[in-house]
This record gives sequence, C-alpha cells and structure tokens, in this order.
Amino acid sequence: MASRSPLIRAVVRKEIQEVVRDGRLRVLGVLVLILALAALAFGVQQTHRAQHARDHASERSESQWQGQGEKNPHVAAHYGTHVFAPTSAATAIDPGVSAYMGRAVKLEAHKRNLASHSAAQDSGGLQRMGAFSVASVLLQLVPLLIIALGYGLWSRERERGTLRQVLSCGVERRSLLWGKGLALALLVGSLLLPAALVVIGVLLWLGGGSTDTLLRIGMLVLAYGLYFVIYGALTLYASATLRAPRGALVVLVGVWAMFSLVTPRAATEVAGVLAPLPSEAAWARAVEKSLESGVDGTTTKDEAVEAITDDLLAAQGLSDTGMMVDEGFLAGFELRAESQWEDSIYDHHMRDLEDRVAHQESWVGRLGLFSPFVAMRALSAGLCGTDFAHHRHFTDQAETWRKSMVNQLNQAFVDNAGADGWEYRAGPELWKKVKPFEYAPPSPMLALQTHWVSLLSLVLWTIAGLLLAARSARRLEVV
Amino acid sequence: MVLEAAGLVKHYGEHPALKGLDLQVNAGEVFCLLGANGAGKTTTIQLFLGFIEPTAGSAKIMGMEVRDHGLETKKHLAYIPENVMLYPNLTGLENLSYFATLAECSNTSPDHLVATLERAGLPTDAVHRPVGNYSKGMRQKVGIAMAMAREASLLLLDEPTSGLDPKASNEFSQLVASLRDQGVAVLMATHDLFRSREVGTHIGIMKRGELVARFDAADVSHTDLERIYLEHMRD
Repeated sequence: MASRSPLIRAVVRKEIQEVVRDGRLRVLGVLVLILALAALAFGVQQTHRAQHARDHASERSESQWQGQGEKNPHVAAHYGTHVFAPTSAATAIDPGVSAYMGRAVKLEAHKRNLASHSAAQDSGGLQRMGAFSVASVLLQLVPLLIIALGYGLWSRERERGTLRQVLSCGVERRSLLWGKGLALALLVGSLLLPAALVVIGVLLWLGGGSTDTLLRIGMLVLAYGLYFVIYGALTLYASATLRAPRGALVVLVGVWAMFSLVTPRAATEVAGVLAPLPSEAAWARAVEKSLESGVDGTTTKDEAVEAITDDLLAAQGLSDTGMMVDEGFLAGFELRAESQWEDSIYDHHMRDLEDRVAHQESWVGRLGLFSPFVAMRALSAGLCGTDFAHHRHFTDQAETWRKSMVNQLNQAFVDNAGADGWEYRAGPELWKKVKPFEYAPPSPMLALQTHWVSLLSLVLWTIAGLLLAARSARRLEVV
Repeated sequence: MVLEAAGLVKHYGEHPALKGLDLQVNAGEVFCLLGANGAGKTTTIQLFLGFIEPTAGSAKIMGMEVRDHGLETKKHLAYIPENVMLYPNLTGLENLSYFATLAECSNTSPDHLVATLERAGLPTDAVHRPVGNYSKGMRQKVGIAMAMAREASLLLLDEPTSGLDPKASNEFSQLVASLRDQGVAVLMATHDLFRSREVGTHIGIMKRGELVARFDAADVSHTDLERIYLEHMRD
C-alpha cells in the first residue's frame, strides 16, 4: 500500500481537481449547506417549541397538583396529573417517530392511558407532510450528492477514452479504485464538513455536551459514515459496470429510489401484514372486556378484587373475618386490590400492544437487509432517541410512577382515614410527599440493542458494496 | 526483440479478427501496419496493450507474455491512439504529470515535464493552459511527450496522424522518427501510406486479419507502395 501511495495521491488529486474546476463542487456545496442549515434551523425551532410547551405544561400540571386543595387521597389519585415526554437535543437532528407518538400521558387511578397530543396531531400541515430534518437530508439527499459526484468516476473515463490512456501506463486497477474512492470520500466530506460542524455544535449546545450526547453523536457519525460508504461503493460499482455515464446515473438514481422510496413503504406494509396492530378503539374494547371478565374471560372483577383483598389482608395478618377494622382501613385495602387487578389487565394489554409495535419494527429492521436506507433510518432514530423503543421506555417509567403514586395515595388512605372512611381529607402536605415524576433516559446502548439487525444490515451492505466495487474494478472492460 | 507476435489469433464470437499473426519489432525499428478498416490493425495493438485477450497464440513484449505480465509489459510501452484523450480541465503539464506519475516515471519534476512537452513541440504558452481547448495536433504532442517522459522502449501507435493537417502530421512523424533513432521500437497502425514510407523501417499490409505482405520500407518507393497496397485491397 505504501509503495502505491504516490499513485493513489495522484489519482485523488486529479479527481478533486476535475470536480473543483468544472464547478460542481461549488454548486453542490452551497446546496448542501443551505439544506442542512435549513433543516437544522427547522429542527431546533421545533425542539425549542416542544421544550417550551413541555416545560409550560409540566409547571402547570405540577401547580395544579399542589394546589388541588383538601380532598380524599383516592379522589386525588383520580384527579391525577400529566407527565410529558422529554425532548432530547438529538430530536432536532432526527425526529424519528416522535412526532407521531403522544408527548403527554395522563396518569390517574384505575386507568393506564395511552400517550396523547402528538406533534403531528397538534401542528399544522407542514408536520403532516413529512418531517424535513437534518436526518432526511443525510438519509435521502446526501446519497444523491454521492451519486452526482461519483457516477462518472469510471464510466466517464471509459466514455472519453482516458481510461485506455490510464491503463496503458501499467497502473494497478486497485490503486485507481483506492484513489477514486478516497477522492469521492474527500469531496463528500468537504461538502458535509461545514454543515456537520454546525450541526454538531448546535447538538452539543442543546444537549449541554453530556457524555450521553457525545456518545450519541459519535455513534451517529459512525453509522452515517457506513451509510455513505455503502452509497459510495455502489456508485463506484455502477460506474465501473455500466458502459455509459448516463446509464450509470439512471441506474443509480433508480436504486436510490428503490432504497429510499419503494422499500421503506413496502417494508412498512409488509410489517403491517405480518404483525398487525389493533385500532385504538378495538384495543380499548379489549381492555374494557378484560376489566369485566379478566384476561382469561372467566374471572369477574368482583371475584378478583375480593381475592386480592383477602391476600392483602392475610399478608397483614388480618385474615380472620371476625376482626373489627375501620371502614377507611378496609376501603383502602379494597382500593389497592382494585388497582392491582386493573394494573394487571392494563399491563397485559399494553405489553401485548407494545410487543406488537416492537414486532412490526423488528420486521421493518429485517427488511432493512434489502435497503440500507431502511436500516439507517431505524438506527438514526434509535440513536437520536426518537424511536418507539425510547417512547416505550418513557411510557413504562411513567406507568411505574403512576402505580407508585396511586399506591402511595391509597396507602395514605389506609393509614390515616380511620373511622372517617371516605370522609377523610388529606391536604397539601400529602401532595408534596408525592415525588414528582423524573424521567431517566436510557443509555444510547438501548438503540444498539433494539436496532442491532439494522446495524448488522449496514455492516453487511458496506462489505457487499466494497466487494462489488473491488470486483468491478478488477473486471473493468476497457474496450 | 522488443515486440513479438506468434500465431496470434483473436475471435470476436464467431468472427475471426486476427488469424495467426506473426510479427517481430526490434529496437530502433518502426513497423507500419497498413490495411483497410477492420483488417485487424487495432485488434493487434489492443492485444499488445492487454485490453483484450487473445484466442490463441502469443503476444510478447521484452520477452514477457502480455497475458501473464500485464503490468510489467506496460512499463515498457507508450500508447498513442488516433485521439490522445486527456482531462480537459487540467493543463497540459498537469495531464503529463498525472500520466507520468501513474507510469511511475523516474523524473516527474515540473521543470523536466515542461521541458519534455516543449521537446515534443508543444508551444510554451500552451503548457499551462487547460487542454480542453487544445487542437488535435497539440494533444498528439502531449501523447508523444508522455512517451518521452516514460522513456518507453516500445511505442504503440494507432492511426496517430489520422485527421491531422499535413504540417502537424509531418511534425508528428519527425518526432516518431527521432524516437526511432534513439532506439525505440514502434508498431504503428495507419492508413497513411506516405508517412509509413517516411518513418517506417518495415511495412506490413493486413487484410481480413492476416498479414498478406511485408517488406522493408527502404525497398519500395512511394509509388510502389501505393500500387502494392491497392493490389491487395482489390483482391
């Protein structure tokens, strides 16, 4: 390799000189910068707006909770509160599916609510037309940029006859391939670098430069690097294999359309067929039915609650029916038992629903083996924390907090109601004791665990692309 | 012997393009291949360049089989086609520097390469201009400069004067003759009977993939050469 480096350097220099002098680089550079900065500005504005709305709603919800006055703790649990999904800095880069997932969850007794108030529901037409984001520029437009810069690397040389001249010099095709590949990488890199620096700077500014943010940026850079290498390698392959530059361009744009437009749609449809989701109404009906007669359809709510109450009392050593207990004490136990029953039903149906969504995502991930775009889209959203797994992580924590909050209030009822029973009233001191919900975001590793198939797909595509590019260079037809 | 073809055969599918060519070119010799289009001249050159594989027979450069030693044999040759194709956005010097680097020439310093371009007859003011607006004659001179820079032992020329005006054609032929006199072996496919007589040491006439006549250039006059050529073309 070292002995070939002057040759490779010469090829790199020549390729860059050609592109710089024919003006392509200037035009494309300005275009990329404008698009990336516009997408970033849009993303930052969306993130800021979401962050502002979230902070405002959180404060309002907290002040409503604290200012609800005196009431029975269980009534307060019914009154409930709202928690709001976090808006991470990376959302400005890739909104993923976050715009379509609810951002707020109403937490109350007896009920596990689905997240509501998605950005897509709340915003105007622009959001619904599809998110224009830094990720969409990186996923869809940069591959076109790579194609525009690279489709002629071999084919134009062959068409104008310089390839014969070059090969008559006795230069190894491998050196030419290395030179052309590196030149393409440098050209694309030089176009992306200014925009990338701005994006990373803004991301660090928004994310405060935390280890988590740095790790996510690092993994994003690596993943997108692989994605661009795939397109670069396929571009070199098509350029070497197809005789005319125009033919190479048409085929590459066709492949891009197949990867970026057709396969994602097909993958979503196929995943929808293989792992269908119930409608929200059907899901709610199924939950309602289970609440009446159990998940197995044979246990009535009264029977179940009575059995759980007995268990709870037995656990407290109060199983003798002859024992005298306060009305409030017993009511508190019954409420805890009722919550346990309802929680088990909601947990079952929610787990089933979320497993189905995860199953769908897993199918889309597997279909990503047919399209690097699909694989990279999933991985990008995962690394930006805007995929379904992160949404699930949030709603699971919210649900855990809901259970704890309801339990705490019911326990206060058990402990303090005494003979007052339902007439018992708690005050602000109890509301203050309920620790506010604080979401602990997952480590970036969650993205890799969830989307390992997508990562594998990208690695396989990279290897396949590089092998194809090397093979086509070896078999390049000169005449 | 710099170049040798022995029983060289090339078929394109069913079509025989070359039928057992035997040919030798030594240092300081110019072998001119004459013949109509499709006679097999370009096929012969491409076989020596290794751009196509022979169906049978042997093509050797400096005693090495081209098929087995593609890269090594190319280190000894320079190739000038009918149109020397260069990178239009690069200057003459940049083009020469690029090809000289690829060919791993011993001296690729700008001063040496500028001097080489000037020796090849390229006007000084053109050296630093993009070749996009060079005339064909100027591009052919860059081709000659490439051969000079590479210090090639063998020059493969494929109709190099086709389309050149008489002055440019004459200049080009003089450069080839000068290289010949320095001991370079030349295999030139051409339609130009006059130039082949001028610079050639040996002349061969090809017809339908066969070398149907060969003689020393010194043994024939221009008139004889034209007569012999036309007789073969009439058959």
